[in-house]
Amino acid sequence: MIQLNNIEKYYANKGVKNYVLRLVTTTIKQGEFVSIMGPSGAGKSTLLNIIGMLEEPTYGTYEFLGENVTSLNERKRIELYRNHIGFVFQAYHLIDEMTVYENIEAPLLYKKIGSSERASRIADLLDRFNIVAKKDLFPNQLSGGQQQLVGIARALAAQPSIILADEPTGNLQSAQAEEIMELFKKLNQEDGITIIQVTHSEKNAQYGNRILHIADGVVKEDINVA
Amino acid sequence: MYRLNLKIALRNLWRNKGFTLINLGGLAIGLASCMILLLYVAYEYGYDKQFTDYDKTYVLYNNQKTASETFSFMAFPGRLKDEIRDKVPGVAKVSRLSYAEQMLISYNHNNFKKNAVFSDPDFIKMFDYKVLNGNKNTMLNSVDGVVLTETLAKNLFGNEDPLNKTVKLDEKENLRVEGVIEDSPKNSTIQLDYIMSWKLYDKLNPWTKDSGWGNNYCMMFLQLQDNSFFDRANNVLKGTIKSHDKEANGEPFMHPLSKWHLYDKFENGKNVGGKIDQLRIFFLLAFCILLIACVNFMNLSTAKSEKRAREVGVRKAIGSSRSNLLGQFMFESILLTALSMLLAFVLIEVSLPYFNNLLGITLEVNYSDYKFWTVFLGLTLLTAFIAGSYPAFYLSSFDPVKVLKGFKISGGSTLSIRKFLVIFQFVFAACLIVCTAVIYQQLNYIKNKPIGYNRANLVQISTEGEFSKKEKREILKDELLKSGAITAATEYSLSLTSGGNNTYGVNWPGKNEKDKILVNFRFTNLDLTKTTGMEILQGRDFSKDFVDTASVIVNEALVKVMGMKDPVGKMITWDQPLRIIGVLKDYVMESPYQKAAPLLIAQNTNRASTIIMRLNDKSNITSSINKINEEIKKLNPSYPTEIRFVDDNFERKFRDEKLLGTLSNWFGGFAIFISCLGLLGLALFMAEQRKKEISIRKVLGASTANILTLLNKDFIKLVAIANLIAFPLAYIIINKWLSGYEYRISISVLPFIVAISLSVIIAILTVSVQSVKVAKANPVDALKYE
Repeated sequence: MIQLNNIEKYYANKGVKNYVLRLVTTTIKQGEFVSIMGPSGAGKSTLLNIIGMLEEPTYGTYEFLGENVTSLNERKRIELYRNHIGFVFQAYHLIDEMTVYENIEAPLLYKKIGSSERASRIADLLDRFNIVAKKDLFPNQLSGGQQQLVGIARALAAQPSIILADEPTGNLQSAQAEEIMELFKKLNQEDGITIIQVTHSEKNAQYGNRILHIADGVVKEDINVA
Repeated sequence: MYRLNLKIALRNLWRNKGFTLINLGGLAIGLASCMILLLYVAYEYGYDKQFTDYDKTYVLYNNQKTASETFSFMAFPGRLKDEIRDKVPGVAKVSRLSYAEQMLISYNHNNFKKNAVFSDPDFIKMFDYKVLNGNKNTMLNSVDGVVLTETLAKNLFGNEDPLNKTVKLDEKENLRVEGVIEDSPKNSTIQLDYIMSWKLYDKLNPWTKDSGWGNNYCMMFLQLQDNSFFDRANNVLKGTIKSHDKEANGEPFMHPLSKWHLYDKFENGKNVGGKIDQLRIFFLLAFCILLIACVNFMNLSTAKSEKRAREVGVRKAIGSSRSNLLGQFMFESILLTALSMLLAFVLIEVSLPYFNNLLGITLEVNYSDYKFWTVFLGLTLLTAFIAGSYPAFYLSSFDPVKVLKGFKISGGSTLSIRKFLVIFQFVFAACLIVCTAVIYQQLNYIKNKPIGYNRANLVQISTEGEFSKKEKREILKDELLKSGAITAATEYSLSLTSGGNNTYGVNWPGKNEKDKILVNFRFTNLDLTKTTGMEILQGRDFSKDFVDTASVIVNEALVKVMGMKDPVGKMITWDQPLRIIGVLKDYVMESPYQKAAPLLIAQNTNRASTIIMRLNDKSNITSSINKINEEIKKLNPSYPTEIRFVDDNFERKFRDEKLLGTLSNWFGGFAIFISCLGLLGLALFMAEQRKKEISIRKVLGASTANILTLLNKDFIKLVAIANLIAFPLAYIIINKWLSGYEYRISISVLPFIVAISLSVIIAILTVSVQSVKVAKANPVDALKYE
């Protein structure tokens, strides 16, 4: 599904190149649950951003679903966002002015999905995540864990084939974090959704089936978890 | 999608109440100012356009060439009318019109002095006033016909049917009411209360019968069948007077009725604009204020960008395209503009009566007019677009990864754009302050300039009815002098404050026969200088100790034109030889803005039209006026009296300038206010952004005063830069305005000092509202959440 070849990313500062990523080559298949780990500043988030096409690599090629997407125009990229990729953020990034229901609805509106289909999908998601009672609340009326649930529900609404999560539990207490990770695992195993997460926690990484260790921009280890 | 956008937009507005209020208020004031100015412009622009064929109707001007220049005025020999009718191609209608004059009209014991005109029957067809009563086709055909306006008819007859009733003109002529027409529209140049036939004019002024082609005494209007005749008609018109009298110096030409009001200035026989120049200023002002309000909106919207940026990032990551976002932000802008428009309407309706009162006109919003709604919608959309476009493009351009990865908008560039916008606003505000100050100075200068006589406590009455008799005037004068109500009185052939009455016929030794020099003339009685306070520089005033039937007083301007040294005792001719007995200091006749014109004054009580009296300044003005009124009623019972203060007449000459001054004061004030709202918004934003920095500084030991200087310094810099940019601009503009006046002040530094200090003080006050709060806040609050 994802094929990265010799991806490099650096920032030139006064002629000095500061490398964030060096010659990253890897393949991620449909249905995998990959955790990217590493110390602060290792380039984890940059790698995820490149996979999510939020950033462009300075060098190397990137194929998504067999298509070269190394540098994509905006329209095509938005097309991919609408149909294939769901983002989950550490800071949840819900839209403050929208209710829970509307937050989940937003990607469907951009995808131009009919209203009855929209309603049924949202109802389904609310039900599945047990947040039906909260659908008319605003994000600031929810706890962090609940906000992240909404964030995941939003990412799932458009029925993506892959979810990219940047430290999804970074701001959460451990009990809530566990709940979220269980959810990811379930999504991966039952719905076959590919998940790539960046995490600091060894424990969280164990929920997935593959771990990429990155240090100083280089992939040090690529371990399959039993 | 749109419903959701609407909901979100409303929630956004509600959540940021402060911003919304500032934004809404600024836009509403901007829109209201713009609309009021546009209403005024439309009102002025609509002058004389109420009549069906106004575009084919022309007012005639007469070009009179002299050696040095060409005068253009609206006066013709009456017999020109038939000539035009017979000779000029394409003429559908032509009519003479006398200059409107207050004349007494009475029915039973109802007496009114109202604007009266005389005209040919074509006039009422050309200017198709709505006829409420009577037959339009026969109006003004007979000598004794009179057509009344609705209000006058009501006043004279109450509920009676006026048709065919007999009314009296000036206590003498019996007239038959032929019809009633609607009142003249307020924005019509011709203001009349009743119309009488030209035949009556000829009857009342028998001299018109033998009056030649060189004698100009009425206005002339014509309507073409078709505007394609214009050039041919104009060509023929030009020679009509000269073909009859080679000596007569008139060349008539057509000036469109629709341009009569706004393009009324002629130089060397060509139109050079007129009131339109002022109107253009107002039109520009309207849009500048709107632009300022738009800039405000942009400024505040982009200031909020930190808050909105995250939303943009998220939306982009979940599949929103840039055009979706553009649409959303534009929608919000339209929503806010629409709300402001509603508020603006409230403001307009509330303030219109005040402005109407101020300007002496009737502006109103015509809700049933499609044109109004077109402008209204157009203005709303235009505003929404201008105001919303920059924020929309700016906000929607955010790169999701940058804003989602912990927010750091490149502070430099966005801030500089906002700074630029604030500078732009204050450039405009400072320009307005300078211009307003100079207009004020100029007005004061003109008003306080010596006018050549003492206009305080000076009153005038017209010599009508019984007062057309010399003896009655003498009685009035004696009685009032005896009673102590007045200290002096004299007679004059025109109102002291009006122009007119001039001739080319004055000759003096050494004058080039070919030079046509226009000399104003007046007639007076004894005591002219004693009553008015005019100053005799050489020689003497008319006196009862001399026989002055062949003597004249001349003013300085005439002496200069004649090039005479020691003029007293020299002879000039005007139909007869006249001896100069005195030189009068120039006094302001018609326009206080222009240099004095040549003038000669002779003594002839038969030509008196005005009695000028000086009130006794030792007694109470009201009681003096009451005494004068009593005396007039006794001597001239059938005429309603009107005592006019020369001071008031004089004030009226400043009407246009005062209007300009008032409007620029008001709208300049609004512009500054809106700019301040923008500054407040920016300060709000700055304070928010620098909360942490300030807290750290305070922890490090900065005092409140230190912090205040820090926060205010930046803004003062902006305002100072704005002033520097504004000064040359304002200088150029105001210099151009001033160059229109012969008497003008030189531009001093004072207005500029006023502008910079005023704008800086206002800016500091505005910013301090916010910065004091931040400077005094407890640093812990800002730091503990980091």
